[in-house]
Amino acid sequence: MKNYLTRVILIVAATALALVFLYPTYQDWSYRSQLSNLSGADSLSYLETNQDAIAEARSKRMKLGLDLQGGMRVVLEVDVIQLLDDLAKNKDDNFRAIISELRREAETSELDLVPAFAKKFEQRDIRLSRYYGTLRDDDARIMAELQLETETAIDRAIEIVRNRVDQYRVSEPNIQKQGARRIIVELPGVKDEGEVRQLLRGTAKLEFKLLRDPQVSYRVMETINKYLAGKIDSTGAARDSVSPAVSAQAPRKPTDALTELTGGAQTASTDTTEEARFARENPFFAYVRPETRGGTGEGFVLSKDRDRVLRLLARPDILRLLPPDFEFLWSAKTVKDDGGLEYYTIYPVKKAAELTGGVIVDARASTDPEDSRPIVNMEMNSDGAREWARITGANINKRIAIALDGGVFSAPVVQNKIMGGRSRITGMDSPTEARLLEIVLRAGALPAPVSIIEQREVGPSLGEDSIRNGLSATGYALLVTVLFMVLYYRTAGIVADVALAFNILFILGVMSGFQATLTLPGIAGIVLTIGMAVDANVLINERIREELGGGKTLRAAVDAGYTKAFTAIFDSNVTTLLTGVILYQFGSGPIQGFAMTLMIGIAASMFSAIIITRVIFDFMIDRGLQPNMG
Amino acid sequence: MRLFKTTNIPFLDSRGLWYIVSSIVIAAGLVAILVRGVSLGIDFLGGTEIVVGFKQAPEIGKIRAALSASGLEGAEIKTFGEPTDIIIRTTEQAEGTVVGDRIREALAGTYGAGSFDILRQYKISPKIGKELREDALYAIAWGLVAIMLYVAVRFKFSYGVGAVLSLFHDVLVTLGVIVIINGVIPGLNLEITLEVIAAFLTLVGVSVNDTVVVFDRIRENQRLYRSMDLKSVMNKSLNEMLGRTIITNGTILAVLFVLLFFGGEVTRAFAFTLVIGQLTGTYSSIYVASAIVLDWPRRLPARQAGRATA
Repeated sequence: MKNYLTRVILIVAATALALVFLYPTYQDWSYRSQLSNLSGADSLSYLETNQDAIAEARSKRMKLGLDLQGGMRVVLEVDVIQLLDDLAKNKDDNFRAIISELRREAETSELDLVPAFAKKFEQRDIRLSRYYGTLRDDDARIMAELQLETETAIDRAIEIVRNRVDQYRVSEPNIQKQGARRIIVELPGVKDEGEVRQLLRGTAKLEFKLLRDPQVSYRVMETINKYLAGKIDSTGAARDSVSPAVSAQAPRKPTDALTELTGGAQTASTDTTEEARFARENPFFAYVRPETRGGTGEGFVLSKDRDRVLRLLARPDILRLLPPDFEFLWSAKTVKDDGGLEYYTIYPVKKAAELTGGVIVDARASTDPEDSRPIVNMEMNSDGAREWARITGANINKRIAIALDGGVFSAPVVQNKIMGGRSRITGMDSPTEARLLEIVLRAGALPAPVSIIEQREVGPSLGEDSIRNGLSATGYALLVTVLFMVLYYRTAGIVADVALAFNILFILGVMSGFQATLTLPGIAGIVLTIGMAVDANVLINERIREELGGGKTLRAAVDAGYTKAFTAIFDSNVTTLLTGVILYQFGSGPIQGFAMTLMIGIAASMFSAIIITRVIFDFMIDRGLQPNMG
Repeated sequence: MRLFKTTNIPFLDSRGLWYIVSSIVIAAGLVAILVRGVSLGIDFLGGTEIVVGFKQAPEIGKIRAALSASGLEGAEIKTFGEPTDIIIRTTEQAEGTVVGDRIREALAGTYGAGSFDILRQYKISPKIGKELREDALYAIAWGLVAIMLYVAVRFKFSYGVGAVLSLFHDVLVTLGVIVIINGVIPGLNLEITLEVIAAFLTLVGVSVNDTVVVFDRIRENQRLYRSMDLKSVMNKSLNEMLGRTIITNGTILAVLFVLLFFGGEVTRAFAFTLVIGQLTGTYSSIYVASAIVLDWPRRLPARQAGRATA
């Protein structure tokens, strides 16, 4: 028991680990406090120079729960009955009666809805094919179809929500599937709830938009670039007057810089002065790299620059520079280049959509039978097919962007005139990508009806109050406990207080390490742990006093105190831990935060109260010091 | 410093009296639960709850009139900590956040849009409320089962029974006190919310912690004093542990009071539940858990002979 080395190494390692885990949280805090000291232009430039480091610290810091930083949590449920209703055609009174009957029953009991639905038709001797599929299909086949449709509805709903949340630029959104029909959406720090609610509610809009001519697109971008560089004024920004200036500005073509920049991060960073000069002269092309080699007219934006470019493109003076029937759409996802940098693509498209998703009847991801590459087959209804034939016929070799709620998922090139409404989309990199496109196409065709079944919004001011209250409660709780221990146990009390300090450090460290979320009940859990953590030392110290009272030497008493108090400490902590585990299983959000701190607190307190204090006692006794047991 | 000299209090001799006291307290609580009903929070009831922070303290009557005018007669309206903060709760259901929007509009119509902030808004559908109710009951039931099994394995079956009965006692007493006190002290809202359920599970954990520490000493003393009868061993153990019991529970109680007074409105009901639970938990370790272990074999005379020498 006397091998200090192992124990000291253990303690030092645990402490170092906790500090390492906590460092990003500290960094994040210090960046933010520095930012709040700066104002206006200073804070902006500070943000720009430290952007990556700030983002890094932010992603690794301890997360705050919605109850502390404000925000919104929404639970959505796919409305299967509504979906069955939406899918049906030729609805009559019989059908409507069955739907409303099913809805009444579903309110009071947990039904497996599709079989229950089918059974009702069977009872009335109505064939399902009257409303679904084709007349040739038998009930079993239609039921299987419907079942599949309801099961995949959740994926469509998730994709719609994720797509919109991405575009709303909420930082650290959390979207997850719960069970077969529910989606949990957590949006921390959202200020304007009304807008977000709207995003979660309305139906998804799928559009096919034609890309503008690459030359036109490039010219528009160049005009914006020059306007921002101050070379032309906003009134003289008509496209015709700009064209000569384009050719005049030959010496350093933005496209040359582009190839350097997209080639890899290293080349760009070696030449910082050159880069700075380029950025000064080309304020737009410094952030938007036009794709010129393939002549597609699209631009690439580093994902970290997205907000800046979004703001720029929304400026009224910039909007005035755009030709009529011209807009930029953003890609819904990013692509990575060889250097690991993430890019969004901006697509210059015609404002007016060629076609909307309502005409799509079906879309299936599959593989090409010839070269087994991933493809998506898309089928349209007769109206859509007629339009589609006209559109594709008139735009062979041009590209059509497929956009869901304004986010582009794919922009295939039209190969030939597509007759009959059956199209094949190729060029996906992976089956996952094809599957995503399938979901997107179907989401536009058949919006998955969802209802909000739980919603919690916490305003930022209540969150700030909670943090303040939580911190002051923690402070006072510490003060009371620490003072009491010193008064009552003297030296042994100080030792226990040192262990308590380590304990809190460990709790915070482990929480950061696990990326756990700190909630208000979580803080309450820490406060409670402060009270409970000293229990182990109370047990040990009382025991040592008893043993001393029985006439043992200090060394023997300390030895006996630790050994004999151990079973009590262990058994009592395990029972408390059990309730923590159950609480974690049962709870959600804030309650899980509480259970988490409670469990970590118990584990950490056993370590610090037993091992750390023991090392200190042993050390003191070996040095011939007589620790005062009070 | 030492507060407690070696004591020799015959705790378990008076257990008959304390059985009666416990029964009366529990019975009073049950009566209160039957008469007043347990007031469930929004999590379990379903509906819409809004906390509004006004610039100036509003009149509850005026808010009620405004809400009634827009068709929300049954809404519950109370202050939330500060007199300027108001909590409005209604079980009215509608799609999405329609009810919340109606409340906001009604308030804006009476007080003007800029005179208040929405601090918090919850909307729970009855379906979720029902699920949460079931989950909470399961959680508490599983918690009790897990504890009984652990204690029965580490000690003896009778100890497991004693521990769990004392936990039932704690939960019932605390629930009774909450129901009785709710609404009596102004500003102290004691609805059963998710946080309060968490507090119940925690008090189960903390109370059994205390019980187990006492049991541990009884287990140890039984080996040391083999000739002593169980009651004397228990009384001796309880006296030996008295200092620890009071100090530990005192520190926990102190931090809980800190939480109750300084933790803010959001955790107040949580802290209050734990304070009551802590008090009854300390008492029940002695007068319920230990007392039942002592009385358990007597109801099974066949096993008594074996138990007395164990």
